[in-house]
Amino acid sequence: MNAQNIIEFNCVTFAYFADTVIFKDLSIKLDEGVFYLIKGVSGAGKSSFFRLINRLEEPDSGEIFFKGKSVSSYRPSVLRRSILYIQQTPLAIDASVRDNLLFPFSFKSNRNLLKPADDKLMLYLDDFCLQGVSLDSNAINLSTGQLQRICFIRGLLLSPDVILLDEPTSALDKNTCSIVESMAAQMCLKYGKTVLMASHKGFESEQEYEVLELSKQTVKKRN
Amino acid sequence: MEAGIINVGYMQLSIVFIFIFIGGAVSVYHSLNIEYDMIIGAVRTCVQLFLLGYVLKVIFVLNNVWLVLLIFLFMTFFAARTVYSRVKDREISFFIPVSLSMSISFFIVAFIVTAVVVRVDPWWNPRYFIPLGGMVIGNSMNAVAIALERLLNELRSKRHEIEMKLCFGADYKEASIDIVANAMRSGMIPSINSMMAAGIVFIPGIMTGQIIAGADPALAIKYQIVVMLMLVGSTSISTLIVVLIVRKLCFGTGEQLLLRSRF
Repeated sequence: MNAQNIIEFNCVTFAYFADTVIFKDLSIKLDEGVFYLIKGVSGAGKSSFFRLINRLEEPDSGEIFFKGKSVSSYRPSVLRRSILYIQQTPLAIDASVRDNLLFPFSFKSNRNLLKPADDKLMLYLDDFCLQGVSLDSNAINLSTGQLQRICFIRGLLLSPDVILLDEPTSALDKNTCSIVESMAAQMCLKYGKTVLMASHKGFESEQEYEVLELSKQTVKKRN
Repeated sequence: MEAGIINVGYMQLSIVFIFIFIGGAVSVYHSLNIEYDMIIGAVRTCVQLFLLGYVLKVIFVLNNVWLVLLIFLFMTFFAARTVYSRVKDREISFFIPVSLSMSISFFIVAFIVTAVVVRVDPWWNPRYFIPLGGMVIGNSMNAVAIALERLLNELRSKRHEIEMKLCFGADYKEASIDIVANAMRSGMIPSINSMMAAGIVFIPGIMTGQIIAGADPALAIKYQIVVMLMLVGSTSISTLIVVLIVRKLCFGTGEQLLLRSRF
């Protein structure tokens, strides 16, 4: 298999319940370092697609590969840290922005990772247009748009290879929406991550990116 | 001891049914719709206790270790069934693991109390083992049911938070540690509260029985302390084991939460 295929689905079938088949015999290969925009109506399976990749769901049949190895051959915590799934609704713990950014480092499997110092965190905040946010302020008081970007940073700090963004702009107004979209693009262009971003809305600069369409129980690349 | 106790005749016994009639009348008058359950409950209490009385008589006479263990297993099985019917969440099949872990932890506690603390000889002497074991089972059963209900509830309602932690590299234990703590706490609180209130708010059951039967209150106290601590021990052990096992069952081999809500 080609080394630059970072994620591969091989004949994957997946149903939530017997009566709702989401994917049927899905086979697709995704390249490293590319920004993919995932389109599809609500319920087409955008979240399921992501959840299968980071093993929050198991396929009923078929296999999913990450860097050429089956996702089930990785330790789940290592897999999820390498393929970081950022949920639709950003979730903060009731603590400072710093604690929110660093709390993944408290987990056993992340303890060997170097915990970034404050100046590095500040750089990230600048980079994601969060200059006004102090590391000591409580994250609960941030707006959804700000919180979404805090979650982006929290993900990047674990140095993943792939970032899965599940409708990061669904709860945002148009203005914040374009900021978050450009930050998402930045994670690919500046930080070199493979980014998969789901959106049921349009995307302002669609033609610049690879588009994957989800419909009829499968995923197709649009050319 | 037996000389000191006043016999209650059947005529006198029937007088306590006045309480049920008063309760039932209040329920009918205020349309509370609990009169039916009250009557069923009262009848069941009478039938079950009369049966128990005769079964105990037989068991005391036969005095056989296997029979005692069989009764103990039956009580445990019934407790596990009660837990199963009280916990509405059936997506994970937990009946067999729960009944196994309940019987093991109840047996250990009941054995320690009869063999090591009270030093009954033999340890399975039905006069001690069955009533003490019954208290262990009955009290822990409530704690297990409350804790299990809470565990499954929170695993469902906090799914988003659990998955967020999993996504950042937490293992399933780290992702659900506060939920386990909450479940344990809610199961344990009733027996901790009753330790706090013992002797001040109420005279606990076994002591009441022994005092009425004519025992020295100083001895009755010692038994009561054994019983109260035994109950806290058995509720915490059985709740912890059951909660940990069921939590494990709720996560798959890929450390993903298996409980899902239909959407």
